[in-house]
Amino acid sequence: MSTRLLDREFEYVAPNSLADALDLLSAYEGGVKVMAGGTDLLVKLKTGADIPFSILLDTKDITELSFISKCEEGIEIGALTKLCNIDRNTMLSDYHALVEAIPLMASPAVRNMGTIGGNIVNASPAADTACPLMVYDAVLRLSSASGDREVPISKFFTGVSKTVIKDDEMLVSIVLPRVKPDSGSCFIKKTRVKPDISKISVTAYIERDGSAVKACRIAMGAVAPTPIELLGVGDKAFDRVATKELFLELAELAASIIKPIDDIRSTAEYRREISKVLVAQALETAWQRAGGTL
Amino acid sequence: MMKLHNITLTVNGRRYDLAVEPNELLLNVIRDRLHLTGTKYGCGIAECGACSIIANGKLMLACMILAVTASGWDITTSEGLAKDGNLNPVQQAFIDKGAIQCGFCTPGMVVAGTTLLMENNSPTEDEIREYMRGNYCRCTGYTSIVEAIESAAIHMNETK
Amino acid sequence: MKIPEVIPEKYVVGTDTPRMDGYAKVTGKQEYSSDISYPDMMWAVVIRSPFPHAEIVSIDTSEAEAFGAVVLTSKDTNPYLYNERSVSVPNATFRDRRLLPTDKVRHYGEPVMALAHDTEALAHKAARLVKIVYRELPYVLDAEEAMKDGAPQLFDKIYLGDEEVLVHNNKGVIRNIDEGNVDKGFAEADHIYEAHYVLDRIYHNQLETKSAVCKPEPDGSMTVWCTTQSIHGTRSLIAKLLDLPFSKVNIKKVTLGGGFGSSIQMNTVIPICAALAKKSGRPVKLLSSREEDFYSHHKYPTTFDIKLGVTSDMMITAAEVKALVDFGSHQIQPLAYIGCTAGWFASLYKYGSNIRFNGTAVYTNKVPCCAMQGYGNPQINFAIESMIDDICNEHGWDPIEFRLKNYRTVGDEFWGQGPTIRSIIKTSGVKESLIEGGELFNWKERKPHTEKTGRYRKGIGVARGFHTSGTGGPKEGEVIDYSSAYIKINEDGSVDVVSPVMDHGGGTWDALAKICADVLQVPLNKVGMSPTDTRTTGFDICTHATRGVYCGGAAVEHVALKVREKLLEVAGRIMNEDPKRLSIYRDDELGQGVVYLIGFPDKRMTIEQIAFHAKNYSWGTIAYADSYRQKNCPPCFVTHFVEVEVDTLTGDINMTKALMYGDCGTAINPKLLEGQLIGSFNRGLGYTLYEHIDYDNKTGQLKNRAMMVDYKTPTFCEMPYVKDCMVRVCDVYEPTGPFGAKGIGEAALASVAASIGNAIYNAVGIRFTSIPITPEKMLKALKEKEENA
Repeated sequence: MSTRLLDREFEYVAPNSLADALDLLSAYEGGVKVMAGGTDLLVKLKTGADIPFSILLDTKDITELSFISKCEEGIEIGALTKLCNIDRNTMLSDYHALVEAIPLMASPAVRNMGTIGGNIVNASPAADTACPLMVYDAVLRLSSASGDREVPISKFFTGVSKTVIKDDEMLVSIVLPRVKPDSGSCFIKKTRVKPDISKISVTAYIERDGSAVKACRIAMGAVAPTPIELLGVGDKAFDRVATKELFLELAELAASIIKPIDDIRSTAEYRREISKVLVAQALETAWQRAGGTL
Repeated sequence: MMKLHNITLTVNGRRYDLAVEPNELLLNVIRDRLHLTGTKYGCGIAECGACSIIANGKLMLACMILAVTASGWDITTSEGLAKDGNLNPVQQAFIDKGAIQCGFCTPGMVVAGTTLLMENNSPTEDEIREYMRGNYCRCTGYTSIVEAIESAAIHMNETK
Repeated sequence: MKIPEVIPEKYVVGTDTPRMDGYAKVTGKQEYSSDISYPDMMWAVVIRSPFPHAEIVSIDTSEAEAFGAVVLTSKDTNPYLYNERSVSVPNATFRDRRLLPTDKVRHYGEPVMALAHDTEALAHKAARLVKIVYRELPYVLDAEEAMKDGAPQLFDKIYLGDEEVLVHNNKGVIRNIDEGNVDKGFAEADHIYEAHYVLDRIYHNQLETKSAVCKPEPDGSMTVWCTTQSIHGTRSLIAKLLDLPFSKVNIKKVTLGGGFGSSIQMNTVIPICAALAKKSGRPVKLLSSREEDFYSHHKYPTTFDIKLGVTSDMMITAAEVKALVDFGSHQIQPLAYIGCTAGWFASLYKYGSNIRFNGTAVYTNKVPCCAMQGYGNPQINFAIESMIDDICNEHGWDPIEFRLKNYRTVGDEFWGQGPTIRSIIKTSGVKESLIEGGELFNWKERKPHTEKTGRYRKGIGVARGFHTSGTGGPKEGEVIDYSSAYIKINEDGSVDVVSPVMDHGGGTWDALAKICADVLQVPLNKVGMSPTDTRTTGFDICTHATRGVYCGGAAVEHVALKVREKLLEVAGRIMNEDPKRLSIYRDDELGQGVVYLIGFPDKRMTIEQIAFHAKNYSWGTIAYADSYRQKNCPPCFVTHFVEVEVDTLTGDINMTKALMYGDCGTAINPKLLEGQLIGSFNRGLGYTLYEHIDYDNKTGQLKNRAMMVDYKTPTFCEMPYVKDCMVRVCDVYEPTGPFGAKGIGEAALASVAASIGNAIYNAVGIRFTSIPITPEKMLKALKEKEENA
């Protein structure tokens, strides 16, 4: 293994339509690896990850999956939309946490290559687009030659680098429900240096009813084997008047239920401590973006 | 043996027809087959920016692209930035501002600086820092590179 | 109008001139070792140890050979034990490593064997066909553990020069130095301070990974392009290992993509590549991956126990240092490292001339350590400068005043490269940098941490440091130091400088060209730095020890002066005048150096005319070649004032402002000097807040999997803004240096860590005695402080 070259042998296919891609996936039942932007997959392959495949399916010519458009539920983002095209798209500007997360990812060059679908299917515990999508209740549209299905993103991840996606399936698009009035969201991450994988990320979402919280959701990255939504924490805020104290209370609760680990990027102890600060901060900002004051 | 794929690359305005194996990296094809060695290997995992290229007008990293994926692309490397021997404003500013030391990151830096100014003709210092942050330099401490890009932007706006 | 007797000379030294290699570097056309290719070239890969310590039971290369690979195992290589660092004299050099190991491997990632094939991909394929059987051995990763009885032993015996040395309990080097009367000095002190400091391993992360291209020539010689800071040092070792005379090994002087000390020694891939080229008879290219590079060289980690005695009137009376160095699995001169560290310690303050230094360096099953910008200086500086800050804080003394009372200055002795190389300090900008720097940084308005409140707290700190300029002294010591140059005036009056000196990118080559241009009074654009190699140059020891300009430049100055003498002699013959009555000035209108008769400036000839005549009269080339040794090692000084902001809720440390005040004597390239200071500040910032090399005790491997993604260095975004990175240069002229110059390279990093540590203390009242100071450590310390309050 060496990062100087790609020391793997495989056949290469680059279908130019989704239908062709799905046909290939079903024809070869396993053994096919789908490559989106390649920024995660090629790193994994170069560094010796145990990913068995004999055919690499390059999606570069499947242009139909690169789009951002209005749909019945809200906005639909094609899975192969480059990251760099998301944060600048005005249709998405009310999805604060999502457009905030993108420019914090890696570097401009990587965002010119990487796709949102790739970031999700790669299923890193620290995937920065995943938590914003969770608090918006995004739905993932998966297709295979035998049919389509929809999976809420909260049910998509099953472990580190593991998802519910089947061998013959591809992630086609992400559906974001319409932004609710008087709602706001915020994404914060901590890294060692600016261009870096999150050592922890926090996404907060709030819907406001006057001075009270109508709905509140919190998701976190790099504190569990998958990006997670902290179920039950945001609910505690329901119908309560938003105050700094309330947000600190939620943050303490969040910190008490996450189970982070020690790794090269940070420590469990730090992640837990810092989540108390970051969750409160994210909630405050989300609240303000929802038009609330403190 | 893997099947060879015929690809066409346009690099610095010149067309190349090549047969590549599917696992060949664009970086190695540019360096070893086109002999354009300004594009460097630094980390191999898209962390350092030494292999920065302009692909279809966008900043990209050649170490993270399969050559076969790049078929049909229009690519500019550091060697292609100067026109008729005249350096582009970013290149010239790197010399003028002392933004070069060992020089191993420099080709990638000037490529990234060039695409930055293509996208934003008068970036603030923060915008320069944010945009350039994927390009690693162990020598300069970066501030001279920021100054060079600022100065290139001013020069470009003055001569427009 | 009165005609001036002597027309003033003009100097490019001290002015900003565009880098000579700038055009090549911004157009991607500068050639580095990894850019060299030849038809029929093979690509090599090194097969490396998958264990931290293991016996090599067997190697079966038959399948790889059947696949067409040329293989290289220990059987094919010279059994000579070598030390890849060759700047010290032989009897001060420990030797413990073979080109390829026969018996066992001593760290994860150590080369076991190598092979070459027609392409890099085929070489990797062939490598997978090699079968190596290992027997795993217990390993040790901690220096204290390694010294215990019963710990796994890396070596039984090694060599010091030609003498066999037995190794006990992995202790590779013990070096103790005692001067003055330390016990008496401590008895005279009113206060004794003691503390323990931990300076951990980091990695150079130079952007160009270690590489070589070796080409066997038809005459039986070997041409080598490789990553090196010393072409002659590399040649001597390649010649020895390939059993060739020096005249049959030619190391090309090729641009280096960053060194920082990691190529003072001959990098291990170079002799492997050369041996493969010799065996295959074809050019061979061997480029390290980043992962391999991570497993090839680290900065020396060191722990210190420091004891200082101080009187109530702010004088240090005695100092004692115990240093423990975990240098890894091979010696790249921890002997010299410990000696130098002792020297930096001894030369920082006067300590009443009572100093004791006990240094021990220990083998562990880790990557061998080597120099990295400072060779112990940043390490010991952090310890001493942190302790002085504590002392001053405790007594309410002004740290600037304290330093001015105690520092070694003009007339004092300076150890330029350990205890055997000493000279007397002739110039010092320390006072200027501390006083003027303090003014610039509003030092007097500094408030103690106790007066700071709120989430974000700012603090400012100061620390000072230095490094040597070269390793010369009036008496020769254990480190070799001289350089060479060959300069000729071409037949059109332009000048070629042929110098063996390497440039790491700091601008050494520009400096040498400017020195030559000024001595001969020719325009800089008429001076060419010749692409050259070991065949065509005299000896130069290495670009290390901040000696490129001070020693390499002095050799160029020395030889240029001889050429100037010859030029005037030839001119005198043509002009029919006594050469002693002739002088030279640079005429920018003519774009020429002009030789004229002093007092009669109308009687003149351009250098071009003189050279042209000399050719037509068949008088030969106006040229000179010589070696030159500097007999001093003047310290170049630096003072750092920094401001940090600590987020007490997250532990984040933001670097908001820095002043780098340098004393390099004359600044030959002012803009490039600025680059040296700011670049060093960035690396120092990395050392202090971000960088660490951690081993996994369960596997003996690096925790970051040898990937840059998990080795973070400060990027564009972590630096202070441009206007907040201030550089000042002391007004100093070093009489022993070329045009008054000293060095600056390594000094520029020496006191960064301590200044940041001191600023952090000033912000939050927490003293960190180990680095890096990560947000994780900071937040933990803040919590502990709160609990204890």
